[in-house]
Amino acid sequence: MCAYFAFNYSRDVEEALSLGIETIQISKKLLKATPDAEKVKYCYECSACTASCPVAWMFPKHYNPKILLQKVFLDSREVLNEAGLWMCARCYRCYRRCPQGINLPEIFSATRDLAVELGYTSQAKNKLWEALKLIKEETPLAAVNTWLCLRPPEEGFKHSEVEKLVTKVLKNFVDDYKKEKILPTPKTRKEKIAVVGSGPAGLTVAYSLVKMGYPVTIFESLPETGGMIRVGIPEFRLPRNVLDVEVHRLNKLGVEIKTGITVGEDLTIDDLFRNGYDATFIAIGAHKSRELRIEGEEPETITNAVDLLRAINTGKSVKLGEKVAVIGGGNVAVDVARTALRQGTKDVNILYRRSREEMPANPLEIKEAEKEGVKIHFLLAPKRISGRDGHAVVLEFARMKLGELDDSGRRRPIPVVGSEFIMQFDAVIPAIGELPDVSFLPDEIKVARGNIVKVNPLTLETTMPGVFAGGDAVSGPATVIEAIAAGKRAASSIHRYLGGKDSS
Amino acid sequence: MNLCKGAVVLKEKSVLVIGGGVSGIQASLDLANRGLRVYLVDKTPSIGGKMAQLDKTFPTMDCSICILAPKMIECLRHPNITLLTYSVVEDIRGSAGNFEVVIRRLARCVDEKCTGCGICAEICPVRVSNEFDCRLGARSAIYVPYPQAVPLIYTVDKEHCIRCGLCEMSCDPDAIDLDMLDRKMRINVGSIIASTGYDIFDPSSLKEYGFGLYPNVITSLQFERLANASGPTVGKIIRPSDGKPAKRIAFIQCVGSRSQKTGYDYCSSACCMYATKEAILIKEHEPESEVYIFYVDLKVFGKGFQEFVNRAKENWGVRYISRRPGEIEEDPRTGDLILRYEDPTNMTVEEMVADLVVLCPAFVSKPSNKKIAGILEVETDEYGFFKTRDPPYASVDTNVLGVFVCGCCQGPKDIPESVAQASGAAERAAEVIALTAAKGGHKRNGRVQ
Repeated sequence: MCAYFAFNYSRDVEEALSLGIETIQISKKLLKATPDAEKVKYCYECSACTASCPVAWMFPKHYNPKILLQKVFLDSREVLNEAGLWMCARCYRCYRRCPQGINLPEIFSATRDLAVELGYTSQAKNKLWEALKLIKEETPLAAVNTWLCLRPPEEGFKHSEVEKLVTKVLKNFVDDYKKEKILPTPKTRKEKIAVVGSGPAGLTVAYSLVKMGYPVTIFESLPETGGMIRVGIPEFRLPRNVLDVEVHRLNKLGVEIKTGITVGEDLTIDDLFRNGYDATFIAIGAHKSRELRIEGEEPETITNAVDLLRAINTGKSVKLGEKVAVIGGGNVAVDVARTALRQGTKDVNILYRRSREEMPANPLEIKEAEKEGVKIHFLLAPKRISGRDGHAVVLEFARMKLGELDDSGRRRPIPVVGSEFIMQFDAVIPAIGELPDVSFLPDEIKVARGNIVKVNPLTLETTMPGVFAGGDAVSGPATVIEAIAAGKRAASSIHRYLGGKDSS
Repeated sequence: MNLCKGAVVLKEKSVLVIGGGVSGIQASLDLANRGLRVYLVDKTPSIGGKMAQLDKTFPTMDCSICILAPKMIECLRHPNITLLTYSVVEDIRGSAGNFEVVIRRLARCVDEKCTGCGICAEICPVRVSNEFDCRLGARSAIYVPYPQAVPLIYTVDKEHCIRCGLCEMSCDPDAIDLDMLDRKMRINVGSIIASTGYDIFDPSSLKEYGFGLYPNVITSLQFERLANASGPTVGKIIRPSDGKPAKRIAFIQCVGSRSQKTGYDYCSSACCMYATKEAILIKEHEPESEVYIFYVDLKVFGKGFQEFVNRAKENWGVRYISRRPGEIEEDPRTGDLILRYEDPTNMTVEEMVADLVVLCPAFVSKPSNKKIAGILEVETDEYGFFKTRDPPYASVDTNVLGVFVCGCCQGPKDIPESVAQASGAAERAAEVIALTAAKGGHKRNGRVQ
């Protein structure tokens, strides 16, 4: 008996110990893989991350960044099987709101890598699939969004284990769309809804409202749907067939998409109401490049970043020359730089006026851009464009140093006196931010500084009754997931506005 | 403790107190009452400091200025105290027992003949925002910060004065002279107490809360002025945007404090209590209004503090929510604020509409502390607060012999703690004088063994 107990006991202990040891090992590996892991101990569970997360707002039952972070460190074995782990859309809102500056998206990304590395491959596959299914239920852009967020690199580039897995699952997921039989949803409601713009916000609104039974029409000024996803995001970040498949599904569901119609030129907002539309959603995005406002900034000397991306993304090839300067530190600047490399430019330089820490672009993309050979120069600001010298653009720079914190919470760059110097480039592309083009809106719709449309933050209704707005037009340039969340919010609010039952 | 090692023989039985807030006032009165001469220097036109801006004090809910004003008046009337308001310390030489201090008396452009009648302020054509009311109210270019100011002498704000001369002409006692210049004075003191106070963190750098962008997001100090009967709204709690009464008010704790990102990773120690006090104040004014306090951890550790919070919860119905809102957005049509936060009971993201949001910012050291520290050769910590030599055992002593600190310039603390520390600092300052006097007699420039 005694021996039996002793044997059993030791077996249990051993098992418990081995389990414990595995958990500890995972935790140790996680700590090693996590950037700024020492900051995590300062987390006091204030939930600012959850409260600002668009994914948590849309999927409250399945995703909660605070709880996921706790699980990463308290229940590290369990977290490797979580669907939520694959749902973070990397908008970095939590990171920006966190009082301790904990980089949640990077921690989750490191955890995903670890899950695959430790052989949780089948679980990872299933959970990613589960996450995609969940997102597909709520939004029309599950594959697009997940593709953009998990970022499998384009074909021909080296893939890590987790990237291989993601690519495979996403491809299967996209293929599944083709097999799926989609029938138009019955139109149970009379009220017609017009959506201006077919970007992520517009598509999401259309999807949600069509599912509720409303007839929806999307007006798109460009020849193809997708808005910034199509003309702003380079193909190497998002294969076009992924977007096409999802737009096609929306079409099949019964959303009417009218391309090539510019609201403002071809018809006005008032016309829409006159034509029998009961509510309008404005999702025009931010397609106008912000100006540098320096001497010598003329169409001959600079290349417009948004126009350039649009031209290349619609299949035109653009000659930029040998040496290119991209001014700015945001995602568009990085995209432009990487696109320029793919257009055959050898020497691509990003010039940013603050330091790496303040750079607003996605850190992962900065890393990838540098890997591909983009040179990033910090603390440099253009002072003057002295015109074209034959072929090259002559640009005068000043070196910067960082001063006190400014309104945006970042350190303000101050020019160093006497540090000016001159560089020559074949093309200068300012990408210092985009603005919505709101010139066509009627006066009733109030617009705030930075051309953003003023809306009620709860209902997204503009100052004109029956007109709603969302996406980049309201928030300024932001991520796809934020636009999708705005679309969801607007859809339920339009539903309430039209006198339907309160959905929430 | 060998207090007087290296101390110079006492020249004059006097003490310099820098900063006339509640701790400076308390230290001055303690010293003066034991017969020592005190020079009380304050940069602003009146003594009183931050406490004079407050409406009530916790946990007893006493009127703040009603407690402070008699002490301020006592400072003014005390034969042993010389009030040097609107003055800055420029230079200090010497060591314990004999510090030579150079003080710049800024030109007030009004002399002691001023009776405080206020005709000049009425006639002054300039209107600028009032620092004392945290920029919620306005004042003229010739002003007293608040009615209970001590000394009650008007001051000309040279930055905004347009030199029209109307005040000069209207002044009956002929007290105004717009051409007055700064004066320097030299004094000798035996020891020095620094009680320079604190600033509050500017929340406009935390973009998610929209301070500075949305008029109805205010700081707690601004709220104190709103609730105060002598404040810009005569005690009505109304919204700065449209003047409507605020019925739903949300407080957000730890704004800037306890944060690795802003760099102020300490607790400001008074916010939980003053937010509770302000919540009760609202309920006293308008019992129907709803008050929410968003906190991270409730740090109420003093005597009677927990009971105070319990009272707020049970008797007054103040709602405490242990979450931090992720962001605040404004409804452009109504000016209402929408707070997004995680509901702690069912872990869902909720949205709340509030009329007014009060941010409780971190207590931070004054930028001028650096300069004062340089003059005094006193060490500061990484946050800019004055360092004490040995926090548990010498909580008012600095690394410089004969220089002591008290109040919030040493670290965030509440009023009772500041007062207690001030009395401690006064005692230590007096000890330096007693010991230097006993050891060295009245020899000049000799060194004590």
